[in-house]
Amino acid sequence: MRRQLRIAVDIGGTFTDGIVEDAGTGGIWVGKCLTTPDDPGRGVSTVVAQMLAQIGEGAAAEVVEVVHATTLVTNTIIERRGARTGLVLTTGTRDVCDIARELRYDLYDLDLELPAPLVPHEQRFELNERVGADGGVVQPIDTAELDRVIAAIRSQKLDAVAICFLHSYLRPEHEQQVADAIRAVLPDMLVSVSAQIAAEPREYERMSTVAANAYVQPLMVRYLEALAGRLRDANIGGVLRIMLSSGGFTSVEAAAQNPIQLLESGPAAGVISATNTGADAGLRNVLAFDMGGTTAKACVVRDGEALVKYGFETARVRRFKRGSGLPILIPSIDLIEIGAGGGSIASINRVGTLAVGPESSSSVPGPACYGLGGEDATVTDADLMLGYLNPDRFLGGEMKLHKDHAERALARLGDKLGKAAAETAWGICSVVNEAMASAARVHIAEHGHDPRSFSMVATGGAGPVHAVDVARRLRLARVLCPIAVGAGSCLGLLASTARVDRTWAHRSLLAETDWAEAAAALGRLREDGLAELAGGGAAESDVGWLVGVNMRYLGQGHDVEVSLPYAAFTGDVASLVEREFVARYKHIYGLIVPDAPIEIVTWRLTGRPPRDRRSFTWAEARGGAGSAPIARRPIYLPFSGGFAEAPVYDRYALAPGTQLAGPLILEERESTIVVAQPAEVSILPNLTVQIDLQSKSKQ
Amino acid sequence: MSQKIDPFALEIIWTRLISIVDEAATTFVRTAFSSLAREANDYAVVITDAVGQAVAQSSVSIPSFTGTVPATIRYFLKRFPAETLQEGDVLITNDPWMGTGHVHDITIATPVFWRGTLVAFAGITSHMPDIGGRLRSSGIREIYEEGLQIPMLKLVEAGRTNSVIVDFIAQNVRVPEATMGDVWGEVAACHKVSERLHELLDETEVAFPDLSREIRARSEAAMREAIRQLPSGEYRYDIEHDGFEDKILIRACIKVAEESMHIDFTGTSPQLPRAVNVVPNYTSAYTIYGIKAMICPDIPNNQGSSVPVSIFAPEGCILNPRYPAPGGARGMIGHLLPVAVMGALSAAAPDRVWAPGSGNSALTIAGQHHGRPYAGVYFWNAGQGASQKRDGLSVISFPSNLSNTAIEQMEASVPIRVRHREIRRGSGGAGAHRGGDGLKFAFRFIGDSPAVCSFIMTRMKIAPPGLQGGEAGLPGRVTIDGKTTNIVEHIVLQPGSEVVIETAGGGGFGAPA
Repeated sequence: MRRQLRIAVDIGGTFTDGIVEDAGTGGIWVGKCLTTPDDPGRGVSTVVAQMLAQIGEGAAAEVVEVVHATTLVTNTIIERRGARTGLVLTTGTRDVCDIARELRYDLYDLDLELPAPLVPHEQRFELNERVGADGGVVQPIDTAELDRVIAAIRSQKLDAVAICFLHSYLRPEHEQQVADAIRAVLPDMLVSVSAQIAAEPREYERMSTVAANAYVQPLMVRYLEALAGRLRDANIGGVLRIMLSSGGFTSVEAAAQNPIQLLESGPAAGVISATNTGADAGLRNVLAFDMGGTTAKACVVRDGEALVKYGFETARVRRFKRGSGLPILIPSIDLIEIGAGGGSIASINRVGTLAVGPESSSSVPGPACYGLGGEDATVTDADLMLGYLNPDRFLGGEMKLHKDHAERALARLGDKLGKAAAETAWGICSVVNEAMASAARVHIAEHGHDPRSFSMVATGGAGPVHAVDVARRLRLARVLCPIAVGAGSCLGLLASTARVDRTWAHRSLLAETDWAEAAAALGRLREDGLAELAGGGAAESDVGWLVGVNMRYLGQGHDVEVSLPYAAFTGDVASLVEREFVARYKHIYGLIVPDAPIEIVTWRLTGRPPRDRRSFTWAEARGGAGSAPIARRPIYLPFSGGFAEAPVYDRYALAPGTQLAGPLILEERESTIVVAQPAEVSILPNLTVQIDLQSKSKQ
Repeated sequence: MSQKIDPFALEIIWTRLISIVDEAATTFVRTAFSSLAREANDYAVVITDAVGQAVAQSSVSIPSFTGTVPATIRYFLKRFPAETLQEGDVLITNDPWMGTGHVHDITIATPVFWRGTLVAFAGITSHMPDIGGRLRSSGIREIYEEGLQIPMLKLVEAGRTNSVIVDFIAQNVRVPEATMGDVWGEVAACHKVSERLHELLDETEVAFPDLSREIRARSEAAMREAIRQLPSGEYRYDIEHDGFEDKILIRACIKVAEESMHIDFTGTSPQLPRAVNVVPNYTSAYTIYGIKAMICPDIPNNQGSSVPVSIFAPEGCILNPRYPAPGGARGMIGHLLPVAVMGALSAAAPDRVWAPGSGNSALTIAGQHHGRPYAGVYFWNAGQGASQKRDGLSVISFPSNLSNTAIEQMEASVPIRVRHREIRRGSGGAGAHRGGDGLKFAFRFIGDSPAVCSFIMTRMKIAPPGLQGGEAGLPGRVTIDGKTTNIVEHIVLQPGSEVVIETAGGGGFGAPA
């Protein structure tokens, strides 16, 4: 049988990573190059060519599918490089983007900077039209006035237009009428319609979302066309799929229509990869933990599914401050992000204790140990000082680390607290690990779960260095470190499937819900979603449909989502839905509100084929099998409060089935797995490293 | 024997304490029925030590509660001395003088025992969905009109709920499920704090009194250091407000002496038989907030950071009223305190102050439409003052932090049709830097029967003044069917009425060019 290859390429901020998979065996080849911001597609071509060359002659013809994630949408918004965009609005709402929610994201900051809207005031146009809160037309559109608005749009020489009218999620016809009229006069204009991009109430957030979609659309349409052309030129015949923030992928056509959904495609793929690593080891409750140079991310995966949320914020003025960005209403993997990475800078704060991050040393001069003139003590300096990193094998030996520089920087900082360099290093490490554990603890608790029922999957350059200690603080029993840690999100792209999400914003009391009407609405959403799924390569018979009902006690402001199979929605299912709601509410909050009426706020429909557990391994065996340490070096052991010799292994020299006991260090090109406490370490059949913590150590 | 806590261990435990109160706060907000709790963070979760000294406070709580919950816990301790408290007790009150200044906030506290000893308290206060009485308005003359008063009581004693208290509250409020839902949500938040605190103490074995002392001492030292950066001296500022029959004066005299600060409000207007009186807890909360925002925004809130600041307001003045003065709209006057502090200290630190702007106004509307009851509370923010560095912010909440409500959500909840939500251009005062502009919001009332409305409007007569030569902004204005109205009492809105609300612009900073 002919071999079938699947390609995944992820354009990140620094590197463009790729993985090719032999779909029959799960064997993988990896590629990497620096991201090419001037023409991001060039990096994709480079990486693909690199990988196909490894595989050999004729590989291009064997490619059946290319799955792609990119930071291009996010960067376009952060760097404000998007299109000249117009916004057509209901009369009276032209200032809504400036007024936003009237909140200060920092109560104590008197120099607060607010995020500027993507569409400037002079490119916003008001039109007299009105739909009421019941969905009825209050004021129809006057075509003569519409013509004048279109003339104004034409005279402004805009590249894209977004339309957002009040209550359009109940009645999209007015937005559609205006979109049709604009396209009739200006056939090349890209038009985004709010009811199609985010059919949900709250005009500011919907306006912000549709404006962002229009803002990135011209660039993304050109980019995706060019990318398809490059793949054709390289004689790669497979179909191109685009990853979404929701953790599923879609067709190029759908992505071009709705590019704002690509916002968090890379991080979403990373979480899918962690989900798959867990599934492959038989674990369905996983905390995906990723730590890179400037940030750490975490996401809860429960029963094999990553949590998804329906509101998101982009282009924050202050990266780690909730409320300082532009709201975007798209389904998005529910990641938390904190300012803790290898480059995070340690300092003494105003109350005389140690603070780490969120400020980060950039790559030049970088941490003190880079020896490039950096003076700040960072997390990487601490890791080096504690013996966790090998100064000669950082990034596979490409960058030599200088322990003397690290020690000087740490001693300088420690002096202020009367601490030696090594003590200071452990102080930094424990403060940053506790910060990550605290953030994860709150995130897990918000969803009503107990951290102890989770296993951690660690990725990113600094993830495996810190994972075991973070897991210990969270009382997690097990940590998994998959292969290809530097290109982890590509494995997620390969493990993902097509996915569509649709929303029906329709409020009703549970007791007064018209179930026939709801079933009809869900049926329409399903029809609409099927067409898009077909474009993503999913066969109708494979697709599973899940209905999410967002509910609350009448009068509350936050909702709880109850998830039920689509097939359950036949006839009056009020009692089933109520039971599910009460159970879910009680699980999260520990109590219910007796006698309070229950309200349904929003309906959501998700469709996708089942995601099979995928087992990836190196296509070509690496290193020799052997379980002897390659070295021994002193590392800091927190439970004994001092340094002791620990064995160091070459991770990929260890054969599946190998069993080792911590403390130990496993080195690989992209990262280092640090086990600085008693633990059982096993190499799984797919070369994932499994660490089982023994819970006798204390802080 | 007290132990010295290592600064690294301290940082870790401190982070944990703040994450404990934040986690409890998040859980509370998600279940809250009170729109003020969730839209406006009108709540605070606090951990105190066994004598009621604050050690950690939830990060996003609004300034009105800085230090009020620990003060309430100290009052609880007077009523229920430590030796009378036991595992499973839940304390409750909404006494304005011992709490936050109005009966709408219910404070709950639970003692935390560890290995048999009282080591801490978990406390929370939150604005209730309803507390009975008249709709909140500034025109109320006595506390008895404002709603149910809950003295200091044990809602739960050793795990057994006192159902008499529950029945009493439920009988006296308009929405008993929602109000009691929030009370039990507060209790759940305290239990969450307790549970997490146990985990922390079990893991670290740290002695809580030592921990409390260390955290407070470091915060106090940081606050003293920040005060030391200001030139010592005496600084004065007067700020006026609309008032009712007469205008209201806030007179602040701040003495900065090396590393401490004393604020004296002598000369401030007397208390009024209107709901704008500010109890000392609230006076203190907003005064300290103004100082912290100016000189040390990044120090965590706890007892230590307020020690170097003392505050005096003569008894009987509007900042220290006698019972039964009402205080439901206390924010109208309390919100002036941060700008009073900044006005006074503008001579000492001109680069760190804002000119006065305007606090928020509010509208409560209730009635029946298509035979169904509805009710809504909405906030109107205004323009803020300019600073030496830049123009004032337009239409933003300060010093509170109340969000607006989406037009689409308002129209789905109450029978109004919004005509516009706009920036009131040109309303900010002129100056080297201009004051921020206010809001212009207009709607048509489309209910099928009249609605009862209560407007709590601020800065309608006296506009926010400028600072250092900057000019005043425009005062706010409300018109109904084209007629300007100054509303203090409740009014009845007729179907078809057109309402236009304009909020004040902020003051300018520095003489205009």
